Amino acid sequence: MFIPERNIEKLRQYFQKQLPKLQNISSMESNLEYKIPTIEQISDLLTDIASSLMTSGAHTMRIIQNVSRMAKTFGYDIDLSVFQLSIMMSITNKENPSNRMTIIKKTKPLLLNFTCVSDISALSWDTYDKNLPYDEVRRKFEEIISQKRMSRWLVLILVGFANAAFCGLFKGDLYAISLVFIGTLAGFYVRQEMIIKKINHLVVFTTSAFVASLISGIGYVLPLGNTPEVALAASVLYLIPGVPLINSVLDIIEGHILTGIARLVNASSLIVCIAIGLFASMLILGLTKL
Amino acid sequence: MNSDMFRMILFDGLLAAIAAIGFAVISNPSRKSVFVSALLAAIGHATRFFLIKSGMEISLATFVAASCIGLMSVLFAKLIHCPAEVFSFPSLLPMIPGLFAYRTILGLIKFMQNSDVVKSQQYMLDIFHNGLTTLFILLALVIGVSLPVLLFPKYSFRVTRRY
Repeated sequence: MFIPERNIEKLRQYFQKQLPKLQNISSMESNLEYKIPTIEQISDLLTDIASSLMTSGAHTMRIIQNVSRMAKTFGYDIDLSVFQLSIMMSITNKENPSNRMTIIKKTKPLLLNFTCVSDISALSWDTYDKNLPYDEVRRKFEEIISQKRMSRWLVLILVGFANAAFCGLFKGDLYAISLVFIGTLAGFYVRQEMIIKKINHLVVFTTSAFVASLISGIGYVLPLGNTPEVALAASVLYLIPGVPLINSVLDIIEGHILTGIARLVNASSLIVCIAIGLFASMLILGLTKL
Repeated sequence: MNSDMFRMILFDGLLAAIAAIGFAVISNPSRKSVFVSALLAAIGHATRFFLIKSGMEISLATFVAASCIGLMSVLFAKLIHCPAEVFSFPSLLPMIPGLFAYRTILGLIKFMQNSDVVKSQQYMLDIFHNGLTTLFILLALVIGVSLPVLLFPKYSFRVTRRY
């Protein structure tokens, strides 16, 4: 094959120009190799995700599904046990099974956040389908958990209306409904303030139930309307730990019996606390029947 | 079904929807799912109200209503790419047997304070009746709402997948 002289010259110039770029690429490759996440980083990310799912109120089956899906993408196998206060995870590299570790992570106290649950669930499928790298998953996860919650005042008003509607469902009259609305506003405000000050949650529930039922029970003392007993009964229903109760039964059905029973005991102790608060205000108001 | 009954059912659904919105926002869901859970709660609670009015026992009626909510929540989950429990749980909250649970605890307290045998027997009956009602309604709620998960597990866990 014949190549004219000037073309060879051009080729030489071209390669000399490209050489630094080629060197760049090879150095980038070594960088990439350096950036392959270690097993410690992966296990930290996965336990963080599992622990924030537990905090946000996901049931055990969903936690295990989401986390193992992500682990599969990163090339690891995991075995996960979820308990009320801690998460235990064994993680094994698929290609090199001698590369494995076990990690235990504390979970934070329950603070329901369903946006977090649905976003992490979507993120886990994204990771699986698009093969997202470790850094991006980490970044997206940090974004999800730093999202702002709904304004507390809006929540306060909506909970007030909700409990008033509840009183309507139990056939309370207009007096009962408005008493429940005011009582719920006061009780829920007390609860928000006490949660911010990090007071023990059993104390929070008792006090909040006491305040709400004391205000709603005024209908008995100065006779207001015909259904003061409905107001008293409905006033503390906003405190019922519904999501933990449902989660506990769901866990037991799906075979995670220990976690389910732990959640059930937790929810029942909250209900007992609410009943104690209700009982205290009934004593003060001088009532014996609900 | 006469129009009076129909109006009562509608009213019941409306109140349940307001209640579901309020109880949903405590758990900080996304805005779309709040409206879906209000809709599901209205349908579920109105169904239960109708069934109880036509003479069905409360836990069985709850089971039917909860399975309605469960099946519909999977459809909505597929539509807005969100796990089903994010809006099926808040829509169950108006049906949680809170009143029965409190009555059980108050009955326990009264039973402990009382020394009269005849009254104690009455309290014992109350405790068992209210406690068992609480338990069975709770079981009916959860089994009903997780019917789709138990029947089609693969499908229910894939709803947040976009591809």
